[in-house]
Amino acid sequence: MNVLIIDPDDARAALVAEGIRMDEALQGARIHHWPRFELAQWLDINPDMVIIACESPDRDTLDALQVANEQAPRPVAMFVDRSDSNTTAQALEAGVAAYIVDGYAPNRIASILTVAAQRFNLMQTLRNDLSKAKADLAARKTIDRAKGILMTSRGINEDEAYKLMRKHAMDSGRPIAAVAADILSIADLLKTGGV
Amino acid sequence: MLSLRIGFSPLNDAALIVVAQSLGYYEGEGLDVSLSREANWSNIRDKLSYGLLDAAHILATVPLARGLGLGPALGRIVAPMALGVNGNSVVVSSRLMEVFEGQGADTLLASARALRDVIQLRRGAGAAKVTLAIPFTYSPHHFVLRHWLAAGGIDPDRQVQWVVLPPSRMADHLKDGVIDGFCSGSPWPQMAEVNGDGRVLFSDPDFWTLKPEKLLAVRGTWADENPDGVIALTRALLRAAGWASDPANRTELARILAQGAYVGAPEAAIELALDRAGLILDPQTATFPWVSHAKWFMGQFVRWGLATPDHDFDAIARSVYRPDLWREAAAGLGLNQPLSDEKDEGGQAEVWALSAKPADILMPPNALFDGGVFHCAPVAHD
Repeated sequence: MNVLIIDPDDARAALVAEGIRMDEALQGARIHHWPRFELAQWLDINPDMVIIACESPDRDTLDALQVANEQAPRPVAMFVDRSDSNTTAQALEAGVAAYIVDGYAPNRIASILTVAAQRFNLMQTLRNDLSKAKADLAARKTIDRAKGILMTSRGINEDEAYKLMRKHAMDSGRPIAAVAADILSIADLLKTGGV
Repeated sequence: MLSLRIGFSPLNDAALIVVAQSLGYYEGEGLDVSLSREANWSNIRDKLSYGLLDAAHILATVPLARGLGLGPALGRIVAPMALGVNGNSVVVSSRLMEVFEGQGADTLLASARALRDVIQLRRGAGAAKVTLAIPFTYSPHHFVLRHWLAAGGIDPDRQVQWVVLPPSRMADHLKDGVIDGFCSGSPWPQMAEVNGDGRVLFSDPDFWTLKPEKLLAVRGTWADENPDGVIALTRALLRAAGWASDPANRTELARILAQGAYVGAPEAAIELALDRAGLILDPQTATFPWVSHAKWFMGQFVRWGLATPDHDFDAIARSVYRPDLWREAAAGLGLNQPLSDEKDEGGQAEVWALSAKPADILMPPNALFDGGVFHCAPVAHD
C-alpha cells in the first residue's frame, strides 16, 4: 500500500506519516511526501491513496486527474463515501482532503483519513501552544526589566516591585505585561539625552 | 445578527465579497459574515457540499457541471446573482507572442490561425504538443480557450495538451517552458507580464464583451432555512457593487484587494488588472444571473463532449440561476429589473436598451469576437 502526502508544511507531513506508521490497522504502508504535486513523478509512486492539505494550491491539479484520466496511470476518485461523511467533514474542517484509487480497501480509507485529521489538528494545537509560549516568554522579560527599573527608582525589593505593578494592573484593568511595557517606554523617555 | 461563512478564491473578481466585508455592507444587512480564503476550487466545492461554507464565490461552471452529473456531489446550489462579468486574460510565452507579432496577427481569429501553423510546424519537427494551462477542468477559462482555438481550425482535443494548474504557479511553468500559455483570473496574467514571464494575448472582453464568469453560490439548504438571509446577502453584495464600480473608488478598491487576507498581491498589479482585464462590477448591468448564460455554458459542455445532449437544460439552468431572488433583492435598491430571464448572447456591437422596469437598462455592447449569436431571447408574441 502506497500513501502519498502532499503538504507544503514539512513538519505537519512528518506528523501525519508518523500517525499512519503507529496505526496498527495500517501496518506496512509505504508513505511518501511531496511538498507539491509533481505529475512527472506520479508513475514512480503510483499511490493507492493521496492525502492533500486543503491549503495546497495544487489540489485542483490532483482533482483534475479524475477527469483527464488518460494522464493518470489509474483513475483517481474523490473519497465520497456518504456513509462515512462525518469523517470526511471532520477532515475538511481540519484542513485535509483525500483521494483514492478505485478499488482500494474502503475500511482503510476511513482509518487513514481519521489519522490525518487528528494529526492536522494536533499540529494546529502545537503551533498555537508555541506562539503562546513565545508571547509568555516575551511578557516575562518585559516584566523582569520593569521590575528592575522600579527597584532602582523607588528603592524597593523585587517582591514589592511586582506587587506594585500587579496592583496597578488590577486597578486599571489591564494585563500586567502591558503595565510593564508602559514603565519601560516611560523609562526610555526619562533617560538623559532624550529629545 | 445571522451568522454565515463565505468562501472565496484570492482573485480580483472576489471584489464584491471582500468589499462587503471591508466596508460593512454585511453588517448593514444584519449579517455576521466570516470569510474563508480558499487555496483552490475543490475546497470551495467540498466545503459547500459538507456544510462548512454557507455561500461562496464560485466558477459559474462548477454548479452547472454538477447539474449535468459531473464531478463529486455538491448538494443543491442556488445563485441569486453573478459577481460581475469578465476579468480573465490569456497569457502566452514571449516566443509565441513574437511569432504572432511577426505575422501581424492582431485579432483573435488571426492569432488562432497563427497558432495552428505553429502546431503543424511542431508536429512536423516531432516536438512536444502545444500545452495550455487552465485553473479547473469545468471552467469558463477552458471554454474560452477551446472556442478561440476552434475558430482558428485547431482541434482542442487532439492537437493541444491541457493541464490544470493553480494560477499562482502558471507564470513559473510558462517561464520554464513547461506550458506555452494559460488562461487565468486577475491579477495573475498581469503579474506574469510585469515580471517578464509571458505576454497577455487577449482578455475576456476581446473574446466576448460581456463574458459571464463567477457566481454567488448559496448552499440550497441554508437558503431554504434563511429565505430573508439570502435576500439580505444579495442586497449587501449589490450595494458593494455600487461602491466597487464607481471609478472614484478604484484606488481604494485596489488597496482593499491587495491586503493579505484578501487577494494578497501587489497593489500595482491589481490595479493594472482592473484597468486591463475588463472586469465590470456594475450592479445594474453585470450582476443579473442570466439563465441564457447558464445555457451558453452548458452548450459548451455538450460541444466539447463533456456532457451528453439529453439533459433538461432549462430545468438545470433554473435550479441554479435564480433571477427571481435578484429581482427581490434589487427591488429596494432602485435598480431596474429585466423583464426576461434570458437574452440573446452576442450580436450587440453597440450600447443597447434592455427591456426592464420601471425603466429600460442601457447595456454595454454584448458581442463575441467571431460575431456568433447564441439565441435565447424569448420570441415576442403580438
